[in-house]
Amino acid sequence: MQIAEPLQRAIDELNKLPTIGRKTALRLALYILKSKEENVTTLTNALLALKTDLRFCNTCHNISIDEECEICKSTRRDKSVLCVVEEPSDVIAIEKSNEFNGVYHVLGGVLSPLSGKGTDDLNIDSLVKRVEHSDIRELILALNPDTEGETTALYLARLFKNSNLNISRIARGLPVGGDLEFADQATIGRAFIGRIKVE
Amino acid sequence: MVLKSIKLSNFRLHKDTKLEFSDNLNYIAGGNGQGKTTILEAIYYLCTSRSLSGSPDSEVTSFGCEFFEVGGTFSDLASNDVRIYYDSNAGKKSMFLDDKQFYRASGIIGRFPVVTLVQEDHAITMGSPGDRRKFVDSVISQASSAYLKILIEYNKTLRQRSFLLSQIKENNSPKLFNQLSAWNATLVKNGSELIRHRLAFIERFNEYLSNSYSRVMESKEIPAIHYSFHDETDKDKIEETFYDKLSELKDDELRRAVNLVGPHRDEFYFMINDRELRKYGSQGQHKTFQIALRFGEFFFLKDALGKSALFLLDDVFGELDTFRAGRISEYLKEVGQAFITMTDFSKSELLKRTGEDLLMNVSGGNVSYA
Ligand SMILES: [Zn+2]
Repeated sequence: MQIAEPLQRAIDELNKLPTIGRKTALRLALYILKSKEENVTTLTNALLALKTDLRFCNTCHNISIDEECEICKSTRRDKSVLCVVEEPSDVIAIEKSNEFNGVYHVLGGVLSPLSGKGTDDLNIDSLVKRVEHSDIRELILALNPDTEGETTALYLARLFKNSNLNISRIARGLPVGGDLEFADQATIGRAFIGRIKVE
Repeated sequence: MVLKSIKLSNFRLHKDTKLEFSDNLNYIAGGNGQGKTTILEAIYYLCTSRSLSGSPDSEVTSFGCEFFEVGGTFSDLASNDVRIYYDSNAGKKSMFLDDKQFYRASGIIGRFPVVTLVQEDHAITMGSPGDRRKFVDSVISQASSAYLKILIEYNKTLRQRSFLLSQIKENNSPKLFNQLSAWNATLVKNGSELIRHRLAFIERFNEYLSNSYSRVMESKEIPAIHYSFHDETDKDKIEETFYDKLSELKDDELRRAVNLVGPHRDEFYFMINDRELRKYGSQGQHKTFQIALRFGEFFFLKDALGKSALFLLDDVFGELDTFRAGRISEYLKEVGQAFITMTDFSKSELLKRTGEDLLMNVSGGNVSYA
């Protein structure tokens, strides 16, 4: 049977989303088709707002409404402790643990030649500038404990070897090959307390 | 641990087969292509979520069917159900442990340990270094989930690093060299872990091997596996040696864009009385060595995991002389549960069977108890 073109288009677009297979895409498209028009408009606007109302923080590259994000703007955060993460989702996960009161730097990925990610493709230059121009004492590398995360942490540790920074890693408590995003709050909390110094 | 029962649907020749097993030896007899090895394959699926022969899931599905399913009940301290379902239209496999879905083979490997003795085992002693590494890796991975995790990360490191080497070959920028030194550090870290695991394993395993060898073949021959990482004897100096070799072969690596140093290039030397089996061994010595490796694996895993693996033996009695066939069937009594296929059951009088053992006949995918 031929599927009507607008329906097919919706299925194709939904199918591009992560974790959405063909069958789920079809189910979602049919659900939306049957929904009230005002609900669909609300959904569409919410999705559009992600692109129009949000941006990335000029300082830390986290998701932000303004040029600078809430965390960077806050006067209650300890600006001398910087936590380096891969993605904005890691910031959300760490914030939920309530164990960290410093500020963040989102790299936007990790080193991975196979995915075309080298040092120029990550927010490393801006990290170097931040370290040079502000009073940062401690750098916590909160990257996933898989091979790409390990390598990126090693690269950064070497990059700042000659600075006076205190560099530590949180890895303990997180399973090897595990994902920071999916670790539970208690595990992340323990990992922060038990962070280890990088030589 | 024992496997109590199994159920196959659309699994090769088995359209709908239900079997209850003995806790001791299960003999499965049948002609070629009648579906006896398929029962071993199904058991292997339950333990590893993969095919014993390395066949893709689609090939295992009965011709023209939309799915296959294998289910089984293990009994250890508690009882566990495993179910593997493959949908051939979607090309998707779903795996369940006690009705709870799991998504990676590593979620099950080592939980229901399995040891196989199959025809293809001749490659372990006669084939390439890669065949021996595969054997060693599979034994340690079943004993240690930590090893399996490092191995997976190490293999990823190799892929990333060789790709980076090829990028450097095209574009000789200092930035890429800085990244290479970071990848070197990860390579050495994970690689050295693997090497230390392997050293410790071989040291322990040699005793199991020589025990099993003397049980299979009454002789004064002493088997051993020799292994070292570039002759480095000090376990604390593996990293140092690794870095030395990397700088020694740096130019070669850059020219060929290949990872030339690390445990993925290890060789394990199989020896009998200090002579290398691969070069000097007779056919009989090879066969005995292969059998001893698997029995050694079984008893090693039993001590390491504190439970017995399922032992699957595919058509091994066919090519053995009466003497060794008798010794092996005697030795199998110490194993506990095993599954043994045979083409020809006329030789069964040389097997030392007991009343607890079970005999099945398989023909055209149908099983009858004898
Ligand atoms: Zn910010």
